[in-house]
Amino acid sequence: MTSTGKAAPAALEGLRVLDLSGPMGNYTGKLFADMGADVVLVEPPGGTQLRREPPFIGDVAGVERSLNFAYQNTSKRGICLDLDTASGQQLFRDLAATADLVIETFAPGWMDARGIGYETLARRRTSICMASITPFGQTGPYAQMQATDLVGLAMGGLLHMGGYRDAAPTQAHGDQAFKCAAMYGGVAAMLAVTDAELTGQGQHVDISMQESVTLALENAAQTYDLEGVIRQRPLGDQRFAGYGLFECKDGYIFLGSRGIGNSPAWSRSMQWFKDEGMVGAERLLGPEWSDLEYLKGDEARDVFAELFMNWSRQHTKAWLYSEGQKRGIPLAPVSTPADLLENPQLQARGHFVPFTHPLLEQAASMPGAPYVMSGTPWQVRRPAPALGEHTVEVLNEIGVARDEVSRLVSMGVAA
Amino acid sequence: MNAPRKLPLAGLLVADFCWIGAGSYTTKIFGDMGADVIKIETSTRLDSLRLAGPYKDGKPGVNRSGYFADRNSSKRGITIDMKHPKALGVIRKLIAKSDIVANNFAAGVMEKFGLGPEDCAKMKPDIIYLAMSMQGSKGPQRDFRGTGSSIAALTGIQYLSGLPDRIPAGTGTNYPDHLPNPCHAAFALLAALRHRRRTGQGQFIDFAQTEPMLSLMGPTFLDLTVNGRLQDRRGSDHPWAAPHGVYPAAGKDRWIAITVMDDAQWSALVDAMGSPAWALEARWQTMPQRYRDREELNRLLGEWTAKQDAQELMQKLQAKGVPAGAVQDAHDVTRVDPQLAHRGHWVRLPHAEMGESLYNNLPFRFSRTPVQPTRPAPLLGEHTREILRDMLGLGDAEIDALEAEQVLK
Repeated sequence: MTSTGKAAPAALEGLRVLDLSGPMGNYTGKLFADMGADVVLVEPPGGTQLRREPPFIGDVAGVERSLNFAYQNTSKRGICLDLDTASGQQLFRDLAATADLVIETFAPGWMDARGIGYETLARRRTSICMASITPFGQTGPYAQMQATDLVGLAMGGLLHMGGYRDAAPTQAHGDQAFKCAAMYGGVAAMLAVTDAELTGQGQHVDISMQESVTLALENAAQTYDLEGVIRQRPLGDQRFAGYGLFECKDGYIFLGSRGIGNSPAWSRSMQWFKDEGMVGAERLLGPEWSDLEYLKGDEARDVFAELFMNWSRQHTKAWLYSEGQKRGIPLAPVSTPADLLENPQLQARGHFVPFTHPLLEQAASMPGAPYVMSGTPWQVRRPAPALGEHTVEVLNEIGVARDEVSRLVSMGVAA
Repeated sequence: MNAPRKLPLAGLLVADFCWIGAGSYTTKIFGDMGADVIKIETSTRLDSLRLAGPYKDGKPGVNRSGYFADRNSSKRGITIDMKHPKALGVIRKLIAKSDIVANNFAAGVMEKFGLGPEDCAKMKPDIIYLAMSMQGSKGPQRDFRGTGSSIAALTGIQYLSGLPDRIPAGTGTNYPDHLPNPCHAAFALLAALRHRRRTGQGQFIDFAQTEPMLSLMGPTFLDLTVNGRLQDRRGSDHPWAAPHGVYPAAGKDRWIAITVMDDAQWSALVDAMGSPAWALEARWQTMPQRYRDREELNRLLGEWTAKQDAQELMQKLQAKGVPAGAVQDAHDVTRVDPQLAHRGHWVRLPHAEMGESLYNNLPFRFSRTPVQPTRPAPLLGEHTREILRDMLGLGDAEIDALEAEQVLK
């Protein structure tokens, strides 16, 4: 980097993390890496699973072309080791003797079977922590069941709540069950590392994707427990008349003008509709519009939708957002990814950052800092590693000479 | 055997101004992991989750909401009216002892109380200050307001989830409130605490509740900025695998998720179906073929699943190596699922007004440290007197006077 002056300090500087994970945990490693930990992605010689996941640059598959891989592995170094070989396992143990944290997503027992489980690693380094992220956890009746993202959403209870009441439930976009596991994996790993730094003793952390997803159920579990009611998927576009999604000229907006009692959002909306000369706005002024039961009913929802959308269809998301906000009405655009790239607030915050890749002539944009920290800023330290890019460098650091690395590569142990 | 260890965050003090969703779920993590989290509330403007159901026995009350309780386990609570001129003097004493100040008010609210990041750094030079407004502390739309529903709409998760030919469905919840914002905020705080341990320096975390959701959808944005493709809703389709979807099961609104990620899993599924003639046709034998005609494939598979119990079918398919899962509802996850029971996920804590009610445990277990909420949610103002007296050193007469002057409302 060419910036002048001293680089800002990194909060996780000096932490060494070995990331053996697949799609359920690569984001965990990214959380550490973008905050300055030395995260080494340890892949099998053919490359990790995420390298095979789309989208690909130019829609052409290839181990160096996955944008999914490139995004979730920023700021990491990468090596290839065959952990099914005795020498690969030995090299991994030597590497772990220098590490503070291992992140892995193999089936329970996989690491132990290769002599690289937590107990073994902890014998050489008591402060090491291991974060094991699995679909259902390390033990229990479902521990060996297989799960994809969709199965995680289903078993955790979130899938049942998403979609339309008259159709099959639909998934959340973007592998969110994997992301739930990866996020809580990051929090749990950071807690274990905190404890290890304070006490000198590491520990094994067992993170369940299914259990992580249950944290996303809003009030559904308590609603069943306290009131005996199973929360259903939403009825339709409006939860109450005036509260929900509505079409506009170029897409949809969310309007949160629930008209209960003397809700300020409702009275401000009425004033807005009046000022705008919305046709038929006077129909929303009767006393029944303060009655929650009426607002839940079909008639109120139909009347509101017809009147409001006759007007909103003449206006854009951006205009409605800005005008609604000026009047203190909780209104937001239903943004597309393209809208977000142009969102003036995100631009002012510098949210999107350059994405560089050897196969691209020009940098593209990707989401950047999830938090803006005054003392230790989030920062992409390097692009995701090419396959085996740092094998020589990292093995050199633990005392494996260059010709020995060449020998390991020729044997297929490293790549 | 090792004696149970202290919780990792024991000894930390959090001055917690958070309310409603994302903020309270962030500080719950800190409370459950041993920090002394002091939830600062006022009855003059209640945390709206205290007024949101479900309620114990369906009967509303400020201390009866299960929604509120779950987000506020392992915290102590005080009430103080920050708009009263004498409130700041009391809160200043708390902040002077705190490690973290956290809030998720709209930008500018804390500054009006005299409690902005710079104010708090004067009270405690190494303070870590987390501000989780909707849009962050700076920028042309920093004053734009909203709630969890607005954030789900604004961040794109709503637009991108659901069926392509229908109105966007989202997740049916305010998803960014529940994991993306709390988990990222907790990670940032833990990173800031490490920096403070090493350097003695605190810092300001300017957190916009829009940004973590975007960080979780990086590949979606790269598909647009690199490939020029604007992604859209795709139901429960996968980018390349089929069958992959949600299929009907026996009973009302009962479903099963079945995902076939390679040809071996397809063979296993065909075997589980008893090798019906249609499934043996050449046209279903490779992934690209199955994917191309997935609509028809989904229909055929759905005819087979429709009369079967979702849990039994899941077991049958899993036994053959096919990733499948019953679509579990709130009853299933809290009362039926043996795995969540095995992990002790649902915790019942005794509460003065709610009796034994249900809390989420954190979704991880440590080999040496217990992970479990340590106390139920606080009643409104439950610990005001004990904290003012024992922690802040006020005398009973002083506290009585503050009460009489309506400061501790």
